[in-house]
Amino acid sequence: MSIEGVFREGFVTTSLDTVINWTRTGSLWPVTFGLACCAIEMMHSGMARYDLDRFGIIFRASPRQSDVMIVAGTLTNKMAPAMRRVYDQLAEPRWVVSMGSCANGGGYYHYSYSVVRGCDRIVPVDVYVPGCPPTAEALLYGLLQLQNKIKRTNTIARR
Amino acid sequence: MNAKLERLSQILQIVFGGRLRSLTENLGEITVEVGAEDYLEVVRTLRDHAELRFEQLMDICGVDYSAYGNGETTCKPGRRFATVLHLLSLEHNWRLRVRAFSPNNDFPVLDSVCGLWASANWQEREAFDLVGIMYSGHTDLRRILTDYGFVGHPLRKDFPVSGYTEVRYDTEAGRVVYQPVTIEPRENAPRIVREAGYGEIGHV
Repeated sequence: MSIEGVFREGFVTTSLDTVINWTRTGSLWPVTFGLACCAIEMMHSGMARYDLDRFGIIFRASPRQSDVMIVAGTLTNKMAPAMRRVYDQLAEPRWVVSMGSCANGGGYYHYSYSVVRGCDRIVPVDVYVPGCPPTAEALLYGLLQLQNKIKRTNTIARR
Repeated sequence: MNAKLERLSQILQIVFGGRLRSLTENLGEITVEVGAEDYLEVVRTLRDHAELRFEQLMDICGVDYSAYGNGETTCKPGRRFATVLHLLSLEHNWRLRVRAFSPNNDFPVLDSVCGLWASANWQEREAFDLVGIMYSGHTDLRRILTDYGFVGHPLRKDFPVSGYTEVRYDTEAGRVVYQPVTIEPRENAPRIVREAGYGEIGHV
């Protein structure tokens, strides 16, 4: 495959789903939802060394401007309704990344009276990132897995 | 007991005399126990007396003594709930611990010290929330940490670790709902077998 023909003709052919998925994966905007120490690792992955901006992943302060929620930390019973409300406010299509043991299944606080035993009891989760807390690389890998998952979806061609 | 603590304990004996149920020194710190009826006046004097001047309240703890010493020790107090104040005198560089037991085990009440130290407000709310001690005279005795509408006091020894309720999202109702706990309780406290003379490292 060469690019010369593209320069001469000025167009390429592709499927609409590929373009849609390219735009979606290239601009995943997560809402800032740090709950505990995982949020520190989430900040690390956003900072210069791992630099989520390279993947078009930019943290937003409002759920209305976001399409991903990274649940980074321990979700308590008291926080659960607020978290669900933020999820409901996300623009569709929307995805959830559960980051760390606590968000995945309660983790260290699984038997506690005040902690939700996994954020998938409150919102549907697309990618689980294991670790306590997961490293910045692990979160980055999880977000790349989310991109791979999005690339498999078809919006136009129903298959 | 070093000279500084010696002096503090002497002043405490002179000022309060019989109002001190006990005065103990352990690990270089002094603890006094007072009755619930004397509690407010004693801590007011501790703050205002020229020789004492405990002007700073460092912490308030609510304590549940129902499982004290794991049932094996003989020093189990008959009363269940105590409030412990940690005081600091900046003027004299003294620290003091004041313990007062609530008379009624079923409905523990103690005077509030909010009027003496404004910082006591949230501390007493926390002790009320987690241990269930009522502070009479407190202006705003609400829960501070646990969930809205939470039932029970989690740091009481008879409170199950997993609690009574859990939350999940109900898709039909479209909101987060409460339901009874679905997991089995788990015993995760280590069983400590104390042998005589084992691990003694010279603590007095």
